[in-house]
Amino acid sequence: MTAFAIELQDIDKRFFGVPVLRKISLSIFCGETLGLAGENGAGKSTLMNILGGNLQPDSGRLLLAGQPYRPRNPQHAAKAGIAFIHQELNLFSNLSVAENVFLTDFPTRAGIVDRRVLRRRTRELLDQAGLDLPPDTPVHRLSSGQRQLVEIAKALSLDPKVILFDEPTTSLTQREKEHLFSLIARLRSRGITLIYISHVLADLSRICDRVAVLRDGQVAGIGPMADFSHDRLITLMAGRSLDLQFPPPISAPAPEAVLEVDGLSRRGRISGIRFQLHRGEILGIAGLMGSGRTELARLLFGLDRLCAGSIRLERQPIQHLSPRQRIARGMAFLTEDRREEGLCLDGSIGENISLVAAASHTRRPLGWLRLDSLRQAVAMIRDRVRLTPTARDSQPVRTLSGGNQQKVVLAKWLLVHPRVLLLDEPARGIDVGAKHEIYNLIRQLAAGGAGILIISSEIEELTGLCDRILVLASGRLHDEIPKTAFDPERILRSAMAGAAAAAAPPNSALP
Amino acid sequence: MTQTQSTRRSVRILRRIVASEYLVLFLCLAWFAVLAPVAPGFATPRNLTNILAALLPLLVVATGQTMVLITGGIDLSVTSIIALASVAGSALVTGAGGLLDASPLAVPAGILTMLAVGAGVGLLNGTCVAILRMPPFMVTLATMMFFSGLAIWSTQSRSIHDLPPGLLLAGGNVWISAAVALTVALAAHLVLRRTLLGRWIHAAGQNPKAALVSGVPLQRTLILSYLICGLAAGVAALLITGRLETGSPVHGRSQLLDIIGAVVIGGTSLYGGRGAVAWTAGGVLFLTLIDNSLNLLSLSHFAIMMVKGAVILFAAFLDTLRSRLTTGT
Amino acid sequence: MKRIALFCLCAAALATNTCRSAKNDAGKLTVGVAFETLQTEYWVAGFEAIKAELAKRNIIALEAISDSDANRQLQQVQNFVTLGVDGIILVPKDAKTSIPAIRAANKAGIPIVLFNRVAERAGVDFVGVQADNFALAKGTVEFMIEQARQTGSPHKALVVLGDLGDLNAIGRRDGFEAAIENHRDIIEVVARVPSEWNQEKAQAGVVNALQAHPDISFLFTSSDFLLPSIVSALKASGKFHRIGEPGHVILGGFDGDATAWSLMQDGYLDATGVQDVYFEAEASVQALIDSLEGRDVPELIRDPGFVIHQGNMHDLADRMWGAVISRR
Repeated sequence: MTAFAIELQDIDKRFFGVPVLRKISLSIFCGETLGLAGENGAGKSTLMNILGGNLQPDSGRLLLAGQPYRPRNPQHAAKAGIAFIHQELNLFSNLSVAENVFLTDFPTRAGIVDRRVLRRRTRELLDQAGLDLPPDTPVHRLSSGQRQLVEIAKALSLDPKVILFDEPTTSLTQREKEHLFSLIARLRSRGITLIYISHVLADLSRICDRVAVLRDGQVAGIGPMADFSHDRLITLMAGRSLDLQFPPPISAPAPEAVLEVDGLSRRGRISGIRFQLHRGEILGIAGLMGSGRTELARLLFGLDRLCAGSIRLERQPIQHLSPRQRIARGMAFLTEDRREEGLCLDGSIGENISLVAAASHTRRPLGWLRLDSLRQAVAMIRDRVRLTPTARDSQPVRTLSGGNQQKVVLAKWLLVHPRVLLLDEPARGIDVGAKHEIYNLIRQLAAGGAGILIISSEIEELTGLCDRILVLASGRLHDEIPKTAFDPERILRSAMAGAAAAAAPPNSALP
Repeated sequence: MTQTQSTRRSVRILRRIVASEYLVLFLCLAWFAVLAPVAPGFATPRNLTNILAALLPLLVVATGQTMVLITGGIDLSVTSIIALASVAGSALVTGAGGLLDASPLAVPAGILTMLAVGAGVGLLNGTCVAILRMPPFMVTLATMMFFSGLAIWSTQSRSIHDLPPGLLLAGGNVWISAAVALTVALAAHLVLRRTLLGRWIHAAGQNPKAALVSGVPLQRTLILSYLICGLAAGVAALLITGRLETGSPVHGRSQLLDIIGAVVIGGTSLYGGRGAVAWTAGGVLFLTLIDNSLNLLSLSHFAIMMVKGAVILFAAFLDTLRSRLTTGT
Repeated sequence: MKRIALFCLCAAALATNTCRSAKNDAGKLTVGVAFETLQTEYWVAGFEAIKAELAKRNIIALEAISDSDANRQLQQVQNFVTLGVDGIILVPKDAKTSIPAIRAANKAGIPIVLFNRVAERAGVDFVGVQADNFALAKGTVEFMIEQARQTGSPHKALVVLGDLGDLNAIGRRDGFEAAIENHRDIIEVVARVPSEWNQEKAQAGVVNALQAHPDISFLFTSSDFLLPSIVSALKASGKFHRIGEPGHVILGGFDGDATAWSLMQDGYLDATGVQDVYFEAEASVQALIDSLEGRDVPELIRDPGFVIHQGNMHDLADRMWGAVISRR
């Protein structure tokens, strides 16, 4: 009998050629609670998804209680005794609590769902999870904390040996969080092995026996919780990584503001954001996942409606304009998810690049396209973003690599000469070479007088490129850091502190 | 060894044909070649004229439908548009008590009424889909029932006759019909290929979210595509009314599957984002060839329906297969 | 490239074989039979009778059903023309919608007979074979009036009309009205129910009329295929009784279908005007042959039909198509 519940040996995982986990080896003792810390994108969730059967490693070995373990899917993992409580909850809100708990495995008698047994067993599990609810309650009536507990009850129904928690407290009130922690304590006392991912370092110190810090897909440090002060954790998480060279600035920002934002709010997401973006400036937005970074960009671009505040582009108020009108005023938005919102994957390269600019290459009144001038413009911009010359304009974008796809999105926007660019994770999921080229382009655009707002989870990227960094936490501006004071640790600390502070206030009375 | 090579090669050729844009034209040729010796009179000039006459109205409606399918929608109401436009235009100008009987304006007014009915229903569909964000299938199923009911109810299911010859000219003469249909198809082709609206229609179907972020006026695009589709159905109503010299509330009633089937057989995707008028023309030709040749073989109408149903099912399957191949799932 | 050339070659070789015509059995005539619908027994009986008649004369029959679609019927007739048939027997959709189809046959010089329904003669030539709707309906209703007189009391009458776009329906209505005209003293028409040849509409209309006029005791329907609807409406208001029983509604119809035959045998139906399907089928085929052989053919051949009633039903059963069907 081995003392390890789970052993990971040399696990490798890449997405679209980009390494996410690099030769990770990690052993977890039976019955311990292991905290997992790391920056966004350090590989924590990927690791958990591999354990939970959602992803398969490219190479390496997993052992479960000393036996080789290769989960092909989440059901398989569940059967092996590994339960996964997700960050975003996976319950069906139209079904009852009982139905959700036993969704994959209804108790039946002669092929018919046995409602009585269903209710009885659900009640037992809910008791164990410390949730006092009738099993027939529809899930849509529950608060997010209660849903979290239902998820746990669901996990308990499978009698797990290991439970994985991926940031379980992000949507909980303080009281619900306390409740969760006492439940975790009870699970521990039953000898269940727990792996707990969180950004909230105080929570880790409170419940974990040991902690492992991931950075760039590798274990940066591991040991008993008591040995890791918060400072040490942050240093480990932020420590210099990646051999990335950032191109030096070409020019300095101009004094006049191109974008002025004041009192920008959207209920529950963003509140009272105020800042200015200057001509030629590269302004970074840092923040943890869920801090409202993307929501801010969507508000600025007009994709979501704002509740209050003003946005002025070159002194003109634009908060009432549609995205289309904002584009006409010189705004551009490179979205976080290029497949979902950035590209028409089945469209050709030419169509995608010219989608925005096409409107200005037409003859009135029929909207007849001037195909020649459009083709020339596309050819010119392709050169400028250094899109792979082997791809024909008529080729579907789907056939390109991630980096080239991202260049297509950039080319689309550059073709309309924007004066303000919102770039949400511009270098996510692309290879180092393409990254470097995109960084160069960003520099050139800034030198050309455009104001650029970069949202990124990679602090390196922000410190390497930006003239100034704003730290967002829980929808508020928590910090503003000038270039002279750039320090990855400070940024991370600030983002985390903001998140912790925001979680604390007693907005917990309402379910 | 050589055998596996040659199988591999034939698989490759087969795959290229299946993936080809012009698959349906190959199929038309093959069908023609196979059935010409068997189906008596199939390859005679007279029959070819019949085929042409039969496919023209279908081509016009299917062209409009192509636009809507590219946006990722569907318009089931086209048959009811044909019926309603036919009776509305006819009722206005019929010699048996029409409002504009014997007026010099009768012909243009009749034609304009048909087009206006088409555009009106299209506008309603488009508004529901684009602005109220209702699912196209539901919206157009409902408008199909409503307007088809309206056409039958308002005429008490009677046909309308005594129409002025000018109104019948477009549909009555094959060559004028052909000119009208080709004009519509060419115009739609140019809109899709050479105008901003065409770009928007494709983008809306390929990825509405990305289109919105890229400043495509989604609502306007959707409304216009349904409107054009309705308008095309109005033109088809004119052709059918002229061909049968009758305004009838049941015109087009049994053609819905032919219309959507022809578009899909052509290769326009039911998933949106991919399609062309030229493809649709191929699909229309193929379906009409099947219908005509099997008819000449004296197959029962119901047997022909079975064959057509099978062909359309196969085309839809190919569509799914292709979209799987391209998305790699 | 080679493949394409090969393909074309094959296609050409096949195409040279095409020029075989429909007349593969040398000397045999071919006739296209295009029906608008086979949805009622009457049309099925007519279709069968025509096919039997053609077979008897050793003529090949090509069949086409247009399922109420005028456009498809036009295409089917054009296909007959393409196939080079010698004659066409057509049941038109209505008086006018089928004119383009008739014109297509005229243009090709193929004789065309319109079976049972006649189109308008708007610049097109055809031979119509049709029951004398007016006379037959009139005769049937006159027989019913005779029965009514024998009861010695006045009657309130209901008539179920057909689709008034159909000349047959109009003829039958006019026959009904003409028969009533001379007997206003004992017959008062209180309800005229339009059915548009639709069973549901007929049923609803009759139910409503019986509600408004519970004393209706005389009912004529323009077609027997509506009888099931009418019977159920009568039953619902408790007015379905045998001849001779108190409360019997004098019931008459038109066509002579199997329902009518069984109602007559059971003693519920007083009379029906029988269209002589066998006469019409024979006359249609004969008319085609006559015109092919250059003989004069009248524009309209009348099927006189006959009134069948309780008194003569056993003598005439062999000529009543409904009886023939139900015996089979």
